[in-house]
Amino acid sequence: MKPARVPLPARKKPLWLWAGMVGIIAVALGVAVWSTTGSDATVSQGTTAPNDSSSSTAETQPVTVTGTPLPAPSDSGADTAIGMTAPTLSGFNFDGTPIDITPGGNAKMVVFLAHWCPHCNNEIPVLQSWAEAGGVPPGVDIVGVSTAVNVQRDNFPPSKWMVAKEWTWPVLADSAASDAAVAYGVGGFPTFVIVGADGKVKVRFSGELPVADLDALVKQAVAA
Amino acid sequence: MIGLSLLAMERFFSLLALLAGGLAITLVGARLVPVGHQFVDMIRPFRIALAWLIAAVAMAGSLYFSENANFVPCKLCWFQRIAMYPLALLLLIAALRRDEGIRRYAVPLAVVGGAVSAYHYLIEWRPSLGAGTCDITAPCTVPWFRQFGFVSLAFMALCGFAAIVALLTLGSADGANHDRSDKES
Repeated sequence: MKPARVPLPARKKPLWLWAGMVGIIAVALGVAVWSTTGSDATVSQGTTAPNDSSSSTAETQPVTVTGTPLPAPSDSGADTAIGMTAPTLSGFNFDGTPIDITPGGNAKMVVFLAHWCPHCNNEIPVLQSWAEAGGVPPGVDIVGVSTAVNVQRDNFPPSKWMVAKEWTWPVLADSAASDAAVAYGVGGFPTFVIVGADGKVKVRFSGELPVADLDALVKQAVAA
Repeated sequence: MIGLSLLAMERFFSLLALLAGGLAITLVGARLVPVGHQFVDMIRPFRIALAWLIAAVAMAGSLYFSENANFVPCKLCWFQRIAMYPLALLLLIAALRRDEGIRRYAVPLAVVGGAVSAYHYLIEWRPSLGAGTCDITAPCTVPWFRQFGFVSLAFMALCGFAAIVALLTLGSADGANHDRSDKES
């Protein structure tokens, strides 16, 4: 025989509670609207979509990719981009000066940076101190690529950010669609791609690197 | 919500999150001191409904920021969504049924969600404790905004989870077990 249900206690009528909740939400909304009226929300927070950089045309430039794009790195296994010929990137600096990243000639360390990325912010000084200590091997050129530009993120615009970070090497401004980063199969920031004098990719690494690891990686890549 | 600026909406949800966080702290404090017991007794009958309200507002805010403001959720944001969204539905049903047994399911969910939120908030301030690299589209270490200098989306979620846990662990009003599933079995 199924036991009889135990009656639940009488339901209390919490009208005062719900009225209070509605009141609190209304007050919060009122305070939010009142405190932001007249503030320049479009500048401080942005009102455009994250990938819409139409208001920052000087910060992104068209990029032409020639050659086979590198595959994105896989979570496991060896990097299949190693040994491939790097694609040629033809574009411009922030001020419109043409700049090409062409495989062949000197070996190159291409560094992909995003202005909003804290790891890029940490790594640039490391790179500078490594270079000032004479770590850059002879015959290796360093070039930066400013990519993933986003008006809503920190440190916008990247042109000023790179000056503030005292970046001393040439910079290619990536397109709004990040064509250069896509062509190099960038999977995170910062990404280092070392292209040998033969135009082949020697090393591709993403993330912060201490000076010692950076030095070892570059020397290993150049010797390969 | 249409017509309000994004900044106003960020501030609105930030204020609600601070209220939720304040409620969590108040409830914990009120349980520790005798003078707070009256406040706890006042809230206790409505704890499931209040927990639902917090989960529902958190879900609404989450959807607003991703679908309207186009803030792409990062990996950790998704884990927090996985914890919060079911709470909005489960707590509604439990509130309507006055099902005290919900705490056995909701509290673990909220604790896990809160732990993820706490870690997410930590790496927003200390990116070096994270993966060491920024995801190209939705990095967990980079908050979309910080209202009042410290209220990010991860902080909001943490406040919501904390308030839900604080409410659901108040216990029943008369100390009796009102677990509907126990009674009906």
